[in-house]
Amino acid sequence: MTEVSYDVTDDMIAVVEDTDLPRRLKNNVYETLEARDDISIEDADAIAKAVEARYLDTRVDPLDPVGTVSAQSIGEPGTQLTMNTFHYAGVAEIDVTQGLPRLIELVDARKTPDTPMMTVYLEDEYATERERAHEVVWNLEATKILALGDVSTNVADMRVQISLNEDTLKERMITPEEVASIIEDNLGVSTIQQGTEIQFGPEEPSYRDLLQLVEELRDITFKGIEDISRVVIRREELEDGEEFVLYTEGSAFGDALEIEGVDASRTTCNNIHEIHRNLGIEAAREAIIEETNNTLAEQGLDDVNVRHLMLVADMMTNRGEIESIGRHGISGSKESVLARAAFEVTVNHLLNAAIHGEVDDLDGVTENVIVGKPIKLGTGDVDLRMGSTSSGSGSSQAD
Amino acid sequence: MVDVSQHELVPEHTVLEDDVLEGVLSEYDIDRTDLPKIKRTDAALPDDAEAGDVVKIVRNSRTTDQAIIYRLVVE
Repeated sequence: MTEVSYDVTDDMIAVVEDTDLPRRLKNNVYETLEARDDISIEDADAIAKAVEARYLDTRVDPLDPVGTVSAQSIGEPGTQLTMNTFHYAGVAEIDVTQGLPRLIELVDARKTPDTPMMTVYLEDEYATERERAHEVVWNLEATKILALGDVSTNVADMRVQISLNEDTLKERMITPEEVASIIEDNLGVSTIQQGTEIQFGPEEPSYRDLLQLVEELRDITFKGIEDISRVVIRREELEDGEEFVLYTEGSAFGDALEIEGVDASRTTCNNIHEIHRNLGIEAAREAIIEETNNTLAEQGLDDVNVRHLMLVADMMTNRGEIESIGRHGISGSKESVLARAAFEVTVNHLLNAAIHGEVDDLDGVTENVIVGKPIKLGTGDVDLRMGSTSSGSGSSQAD
Repeated sequence: MVDVSQHELVPEHTVLEDDVLEGVLSEYDIDRTDLPKIKRTDAALPDDAEAGDVVKIVRNSRTTDQAIIYRLVVE
């Protein structure tokens, strides 16, 4: 017998476990039974049976057009989504795309989201001590030269002079020697480094080359990950104590997981392709559901049943890679010419089909609507076959 | 290298034995090519999986406790 952590009698457990209910509903039944003290085994049986009957009633019937129902169930609330592209989201003053633009971005499976971000969870002492959390921040956030010190150009001597800030260097755990060698590697110049002062210049005295060097110097990433422009630390309450969580503007999911102190089991990002690349297709599916669900919930539309979003995610990940809904993805790869033509760019599809001599078997819904035949859904797919020979009582068979 | 299978978004993937697979396919009355696919290069795939294998995935479902689905490994 399965373990039940509710305070109910063995008979009741037997009655509930006997039903054809999923675990979650069984637990709900147990909770109800537990809450009522003076309940008889007959009552318990009646309750369990009633729940089971209702559950079986609400299951999808064979030949139910679940895709159409999903499309409408997401589409109608979708009309109420905000069309504003930006505003600051609840967490950590980081700009994230919300509402309709975000939903479109997800179902279109854009290669990079408008506002990439990561939520980085930390391990052990990194999560509890602010100094350790900061170590991870410096390994994530791209550090440019202007954050480390002052840059000035000496036009008379044709030199670029950098005076580094000692405190900042110490805080970000980088030495003047490292800075100098990174500059040499990136710009191909030889530098003179003395303490916190670094200077270098173009090989031939040239005003243009000098300015060019300064421009390039500003773009060098001295520490951290190039794509991550800003990191915000937030202290979040847990059930037992609290922990530091990092929110980043820009994302580099694969690189971030490798950094010491990052909890590689919880850290996520909002780019479904990065999740697919690093964690596989199943994780991508999970992320699509999570992201679409959150986008709707953010706008107060959390009454969209999650099953619709799961169907969308299942379709998008069915072929082992993320496909967009729409002309370049799922709708564009339909078998039927008429169905594709009915969706978008009608003439192109018909022309190409004619050139290649494509045949339409009229198996789907759209094709049959176009040619005016009953669609193969619901009652449209059920044939009634009468027995050709009457055998006394005139029996008939439904096929 | 990060252990991908430890991430909370990644469900358990196991390669299915041939005789178990037969049972699954006959239960649903389908061919193995009708199953959803997973790329051989997928990060969450067990190391011993090859193209043509079927992996069993046990998801923590939002609607029931656990959902079992199968994916065919493709190139």
